[in-house]
Amino acid sequence: MAAEGASATASAPGERIAIGISFGNSNSSIAITSVDDKAEVIANEDGDRQIPSILSYVDGEEYNGQQAKQQLIRNSNNTVAYFRDFLGQDFKSIDPTHCHASAHPQEHESTIAFTIQDKEGDEKSTVTISEIATRQFRRLKQSATDFSGKEVNSAVITIPTNFNEKQKAALTKSASDAGLEVLQLIHEPIAALLAYDARPESKVEDKNVVVADLGGTRSDVAVIASRGGMYTILATAHDYEYAGVHLDKVLQDHFAKEFIKWNSIDPRENARSLAKLKLEAEATKKALSIGTNANFSVESLAEGIDFASTINRLRYETIARKVFDGFNRLIEGVVKKAGLDVLEIDEVILSGGTSHTPKIASNMRSIFPETTTVLAPSTTPTAINPSELQARGAALQASLIQEYESEDIEQSTHPAVTTVKHLTNAIGVLAISGDPKQGIFTPVISAETAVPARRTIHISVPKEGGDVLVKIVEGGSHIKVSKPDPKPKTNGNKDSDDSDEDSEEDSDDEPEEQRERVWKVGNVLAEAAIRDTKKGSKIEVMINVANDLGVTITAREVGAKGGVRGNLSPP
Amino acid sequence: PVLPEGWAGEKDFKTTGRLSAATQRSIEPVGPHFLAHARRARHKRTFSEDDRI
Repeated sequence: MAAEGASATASAPGERIAIGISFGNSNSSIAITSVDDKAEVIANEDGDRQIPSILSYVDGEEYNGQQAKQQLIRNSNNTVAYFRDFLGQDFKSIDPTHCHASAHPQEHESTIAFTIQDKEGDEKSTVTISEIATRQFRRLKQSATDFSGKEVNSAVITIPTNFNEKQKAALTKSASDAGLEVLQLIHEPIAALLAYDARPESKVEDKNVVVADLGGTRSDVAVIASRGGMYTILATAHDYEYAGVHLDKVLQDHFAKEFIKWNSIDPRENARSLAKLKLEAEATKKALSIGTNANFSVESLAEGIDFASTINRLRYETIARKVFDGFNRLIEGVVKKAGLDVLEIDEVILSGGTSHTPKIASNMRSIFPETTTVLAPSTTPTAINPSELQARGAALQASLIQEYESEDIEQSTHPAVTTVKHLTNAIGVLAISGDPKQGIFTPVISAETAVPARRTIHISVPKEGGDVLVKIVEGGSHIKVSKPDPKPKTNGNKDSDDSDEDSEEDSDDEPEEQRERVWKVGNVLAEAAIRDTKKGSKIEVMINVANDLGVTITAREVGAKGGVRGNLSPP
Repeated sequence: PVLPEGWAGEKDFKTTGRLSAATQRSIEPVGPHFLAHARRARHKRTFSEDDRI
């Protein structure tokens, strides 16, 4: 079609049909927003919402998704998998480990290519990575077009936070070659967070969020400051040692050993047997996320011998403990990297396919305090499917910006707009306490809030009303570590040996220290007097921080006219 | 706290400090609140001006 080439250039906003695409090494998914602004993940023609990012060629015919994945057994040389991270990369910098069982990447001019037999006949062709990605995008676009009944021509695509400019450019080019105008590339953890924040029941709050995106071949964790619905990434970590394939490997080895016990043949030594083992191990892992027991069975696993076995979840959790511990360390590490403590994290979002694993969610429950919400299917009944978060977030963003001129999008996402000052300390008021000299710090604007920012708070006046002093101060959050007081000896008689032993055991447990989050009051910024307040009324304090860190403070009794207003000059 | 005796300030307001230095960071250009921020930034509007529109 002639229109195919034309739509690669920017289309007018009115003609856009935009979707959200999450494009992964292992799986991709597509989502669209319906009329009522709800994002919905679309199934492809096979009925899959998680579409394996795999392309395979048989007699010149192209297979994609689950159908291509099956070809890893019989037709591995003409099957391309795990290619997303190769886009825009030098051959030397890629890790081809995951491609051993499929077509191998090779150096081709300045880029990476695959030699596959993608046409009828025996002739092989060299297909560049960018063409492979274009073909994948074309399939995703087709599935979305079939679903919506209208030609989809634009998309918001999610990318990892460590994608460089070259990778972004390569991805954009591949998508536009497939006839998709890339409206914006957004970061994967932000897309996941947006998917949750866009739900009608969620409120805009200031919170620190950890998004753990546990995928097939990599795990990415980000700590995000969410302030007034705006997101700032404080720290990220990327790991390639602890991911879904490593859990598959644990099951693979477990069942391979069992098979050897009966047959003295190692199915891992034969490529086709290994491919079968791999596919079934992944299916068993998925079953163990849903049920407490799962079957593992492969027809003709090695040398024509069938194999069937079962495993329960507890056994799986035991043999996979090393990998689970790896996830824990990764997540704890990035919280530390952000300069935060687990006590300062309000929300943990588990995203990505591997996040379906119940054990990972329960580990998060024990790492973080009870006040932290862990958003995963097994800990929060209302949690969104972790596999769908990114595509949903991308679709929501697509629906927000599809009416914009592409020039507007470009200008709005320009660093001049996105790079702003963020507060180092929280700003708050000292609220009423018994001692008039001391107050309790109540944060109004949290640390790491982007300026300009405006927040309003209501504080109560003393019981009897009267004149009130409003003190605006800076505050820092600290972790107070205290050891609980040793238990007082219950009674003086030490005659029985038992009680001595008990107290010794107790003292062994005692060093369990108590950690709590406390506010330390810093710099006093301003004081304002509100006179003659009525009994039981409230004072409204509004703090407005400008771009240049100048502060405007307005304080007045609720319902009263006028009030006190003052400015602080910028530092 | 309760207003101490003899406290006085110009129009009942007294400045005693300034904000400490801030860090430059990047906001993620995603979500409805960011788009509102970008709109204000590009038109150089303040919050209250934006509220009125």
